[in-house]
Amino acid sequence: MTRRTRRIIGMVVHRVLVVLLLVYLLAPFVWMVLFSIYPSQALQQLTPDLNPAQLTLSSYARLLGDPTFLRPMANSAMVGISTTIVCMVLGTWCAYAIARYRFRGRNVVLLGMLTVQAIPVIVLAVPLFILLRAFGMYDQLPGLVVTYTAFTLPLVVWMLVGFFADIPPSLERAAVIDGCNRFQIMTRIALPLATPGLAATAILAFINSWSDFFLAKVLTTTNATTLPVRTAAFQGLFAMDYTSAATAGVITALPVLLLALIAQKWIIRGLVEGAVKG
Amino acid sequence: MAEIVLSHVKKTYGRGRRASTAVEDLTYTVADGDFVSLLGPSGCGKSTTLNMIAGLEDVTDGEILIDGRRVDDLDPDKRDLAFVFQDYALYPHMSVFENIAFGLRMRKVAKEEITQRVTDAAQRLNIDSVLGNRPRALSGGQRQRVALARAIARRPAVFLFDEPLSNLDALLRDRTRSELKILHADLGATSVYVTHDQEEAMTLSDRIAVMSKGHLEQYGTPEEIYRRPATEFVASFVGKPRMNLFTASRTEQGRYGLGDSGFTVDLAGVETDTIRVGLRPEECDVEVVDDKDTTAHGTVRVVEPLGGATDVLIDVSGELFMVRRPGFGGITPGQRVRISTSRATVHPFDPATGARLA
Repeated sequence: MTRRTRRIIGMVVHRVLVVLLLVYLLAPFVWMVLFSIYPSQALQQLTPDLNPAQLTLSSYARLLGDPTFLRPMANSAMVGISTTIVCMVLGTWCAYAIARYRFRGRNVVLLGMLTVQAIPVIVLAVPLFILLRAFGMYDQLPGLVVTYTAFTLPLVVWMLVGFFADIPPSLERAAVIDGCNRFQIMTRIALPLATPGLAATAILAFINSWSDFFLAKVLTTTNATTLPVRTAAFQGLFAMDYTSAATAGVITALPVLLLALIAQKWIIRGLVEGAVKG
Repeated sequence: MAEIVLSHVKKTYGRGRRASTAVEDLTYTVADGDFVSLLGPSGCGKSTTLNMIAGLEDVTDGEILIDGRRVDDLDPDKRDLAFVFQDYALYPHMSVFENIAFGLRMRKVAKEEITQRVTDAAQRLNIDSVLGNRPRALSGGQRQRVALARAIARRPAVFLFDEPLSNLDALLRDRTRSELKILHADLGATSVYVTHDQEEAMTLSDRIAVMSKGHLEQYGTPEEIYRRPATEFVASFVGKPRMNLFTASRTEQGRYGLGDSGFTVDLAGVETDTIRVGLRPEECDVEVVDDKDTTAHGTVRVVEPLGGATDVLIDVSGELFMVRRPGFGGITPGQRVRISTSRATVHPFDPATGARLA
């Protein structure tokens, strides 16, 4: 076998694997989208009827006009955005300090951030439930925000430390010579350069709290219910409204999907490139 | 304009038993308007010294004065100096114009004045056509010029350079070196320049501070450093090709020989039995002798023609001795030669301390 044929075979195998992976990842989602735009009886047969004439967005209209669905949607948005803002504001300062200062316990703090991630949420669910109820935050949006922040902040700090550490120290030294104080170095040099990292991290923080099901299920009932919990409620005990469930699923997934696409663009665009050397 | 005075400057890192000394007891004065190089191998403390002058690192002990004013407790931006970094350290999120203007903006210089100064600096360095570009769109040489323009536009009393040429390729480096010299002649500002390249230090400087292991080995003009190296380290570090250095023992009063080769040098005023002797390759000469001649000093090992000159490596009693002679010279490996040192300055050093003896 020549090197040329070996290379071609390798390429074909690679492409086939990529396609298989894509099918594996995308098929359930595509199936869900189909369920949300076709009447369910058209799909629930041996050969699904994909006649475009049957296409309808009526289930979207129905859900987006339903107050019992809009409320959880607004809740999710509120909780997601609030958590993200709190995490980014606190996390940026914390991560910058860890990335740029050498102090006693620095590594302990950093490793602590990672260790916390290893604690299973299920262990904390009941204690959290009791705590939140004691503080009067059960089934309240602030309760969810506090809880999600506690879980997301360590991850945010961990990621941001990496992004800040990647900024060449000589840039900050140049800024010191140019007359910046610590705060100005942060706002004028470090933050603009870390923008891609900040954006990616913020999106991750949002996705984390937006798509959480378990904690929201345990810590809310009606008032502060979030989108994933509401979506799961379409699954009845005896019957299931496939179309509504699929539609809610698409609505839940869409922001996450869009944000992930944007984040990818941000991450790939390495802003620091060209800062130093030739 | 400014004179920089270092007085017993010391820098240690860490505390207690883990402390390590980076720089010890540095005392010298950089005269107003002088261009001074800090020269030494990596890890000798030259960059640390520069950072202490700049205020990027604290001084552990001693003091630094600029223009008679003690500065080692001042913030870097209060010391009226500009710094050119080895990796240029251009802000990637700003245009070239903004990069040059940033330090002026931070100092609240008036808008028209900023434009004026940035344009001036850019014209001087031939980068006025790329003022609107981002640094990543520039070549290495252009980035280096932007870094220089940023320093010039500030019009500081002191320029500090941290190996600014080391990231350029050889050709560009030589050209930029000449331009730096012209620039300094034009601006006349006191400059401190860190380099490990003795050629850069020799060509650019009014004075050179040779450092090794955190100590100052010698502070003097390039000529003093070259003609009268104060220590064996300076002798070995400055000059290309490297100075021949070997241990010699006294054969008779005022005469020292290398092993049993019969090769001797005359030295008056030295009383020890064993010394280290230094001879510059370009000040020695060789003479080919007959194979049976017993006055031969050694055998030619390698001949390296460079074009204008030829380096001849000679095995003298197991030590390699280099001689640089003009032209291509008709010498081939294996020939027996006599080394002539009649033109050469003999540099004697103490074998234990490395200090110059006479």
